Amino acid sequence: MMAIWDYVAEPLSYGFMQRALVAAIFIGAVCSVLSCYLVLKGWALMGDAVSHAVLPGIVIAFVLGLPLAVGAFVAGLLCAVLTGYLKDNSRVKEDTVMGIVFSGMFGFGLVLFTKVETDQHLNHILFGNMLGITASDLVQTGIVAGGTLLAVLAKRRDLLLYCFDPQHARAIGLPVGVIHYALLILLALTIVASLKAVGIILVVAMLVAPGAIAFLLTDRFERMLVIAAVVAIGSSVVGTIVSFHIDGATGPCIVLIQAFVFLLTFFFAPRRGVFAVRGS
Amino acid sequence: MSELLVPFAYDYMLKAMFVSALVGGVCAFLSAYLMLKGWSLMGDALGHAVVPGVAGAYLLKVPYATGAFFAGLLAAIGMIVVKQRTRLREDAIIGLVFTSFFAAGLLMASINPTAVNIQTIALGNILGISDEDVWQVVIIAGVSLTILILKWRDLMVVFFNESHARTVGLNPWALKILFFTLLAACTVAALQTVGACLVIAMVVTPGATAYLLTDRFGRLLVLSVAFGATTSFVGAYVSYFLDGATGGVIVTLQTLLFLAAFYFAPKHGRIAARRRAAARAEPAL
Repeated sequence: MMAIWDYVAEPLSYGFMQRALVAAIFIGAVCSVLSCYLVLKGWALMGDAVSHAVLPGIVIAFVLGLPLAVGAFVAGLLCAVLTGYLKDNSRVKEDTVMGIVFSGMFGFGLVLFTKVETDQHLNHILFGNMLGITASDLVQTGIVAGGTLLAVLAKRRDLLLYCFDPQHARAIGLPVGVIHYALLILLALTIVASLKAVGIILVVAMLVAPGAIAFLLTDRFERMLVIAAVVAIGSSVVGTIVSFHIDGATGPCIVLIQAFVFLLTFFFAPRRGVFAVRGS
Repeated sequence: MSELLVPFAYDYMLKAMFVSALVGGVCAFLSAYLMLKGWSLMGDALGHAVVPGVAGAYLLKVPYATGAFFAGLLAAIGMIVVKQRTRLREDAIIGLVFTSFFAAGLLMASINPTAVNIQTIALGNILGISDEDVWQVVIIAGVSLTILILKWRDLMVVFFNESHARTVGLNPWALKILFFTLLAACTVAALQTVGACLVIAMVVTPGATAYLLTDRFGRLLVLSVAFGATTSFVGAYVSYFLDGATGGVIVTLQTLLFLAAFYFAPKHGRIAARRRAAARAEPAL
């Protein structure tokens, strides 16, 4: 028992670990809620696309002296809008267009990055740098994550109806176009909030895994939100602590803990797990 | 003028340009099928899923292609099993599996930073490729290209008219497995040129560009391969002057080419569409 206590308490005596854990909780909370909608709507690729596309935005924001989060947000949104425009005006399929746009933006971002003198490390942008989070980063993450979380929770029923049945949502008079873009904006904001911690490439894991795990465990949306939040926050905290002890990168540890939870759920979920299906 | 020819004087640049062109061509060949079937996410997923295999291979000092292939296979099996056993949507399953694999690769690299260079795997490093890796890439790409040239028509029939394929005696399952094996192999080859994160562009963009320019599949293949090989060759050449970011340059060129086709394609382009709309709006004489 003491050993477990020490395992958890030792990292907490360092300031950078305290900040990392607070960030982990913020990010876990906001990503988990968004992930429930993305999993139901089938937007996993959208999450992947928007997160990769923020790279040129970060570089350009640095050049212009703007906050990096603003550049990232604009670029992420631009990716979604461009995808919609190219899809509507050509005969190429949506998933293909999305792949073209985000890989093009990511590639362009890489080229820009090599040409610009920055104090940013490419590895930190790509793979996250949870242990290097400063107090001001934390405030920024907290504001973005908190605002996004409140907005999603306040409008959770409208968003849910839109994800499940856009026609019905339109029929009862909801502004479907506005909701579509609102969800995209919330997605982009969530990605921006999580970048510092898990990086561009692994954000999408945070945006899929918690919702997928919760989806295997319940049929009720409100419960799904709660389960996803518990899983995401729990994995983020445990992953951060484990990464401290094994001296490995934090983002991957969080994602792998989530993958492990998914596997457990996949096999042992009470009603839908592999073993439960066999048993009945 | 002579400054522009400098890259051709270096062995490593010649190697990089020709290897890139070969890989770009083969990936573009596959892209014609992928983008018509709407399987773009598969290309992205395979690119990321092979990363732990590559990291493991560097750690164990075995050829990187074997590790990559093994990891890709494992990821594919994982996706199929989860798909059969749950009611999750396909995109969520793919996203879940490939990010988990990628995370495993990152973790291995972060624990052994000297043996595994994660930036090389994620973003490619064709300018610094070792001779041993060149041989692996050339063999993989060469064999894949030969098989594709021999089998392109069978693959086309199976993908776009399966019942017809059966009546003429083709085995759809065998050909689909062949196709995905080739895709995995080419993904592994493309890791060296553009890296895991940009593989998706190599196996999607050239095909989509060609699709805006022609309605015949045979021509689509030729155009696509030409675009893939040329952009990769030129991209490697340009990256000499930028001192790196070869993958980024190649993909940026491919995207620009796509945008050009999107606007200027004679029949399916935006400008042609606008002109047609304007002609229709004018009153007939």
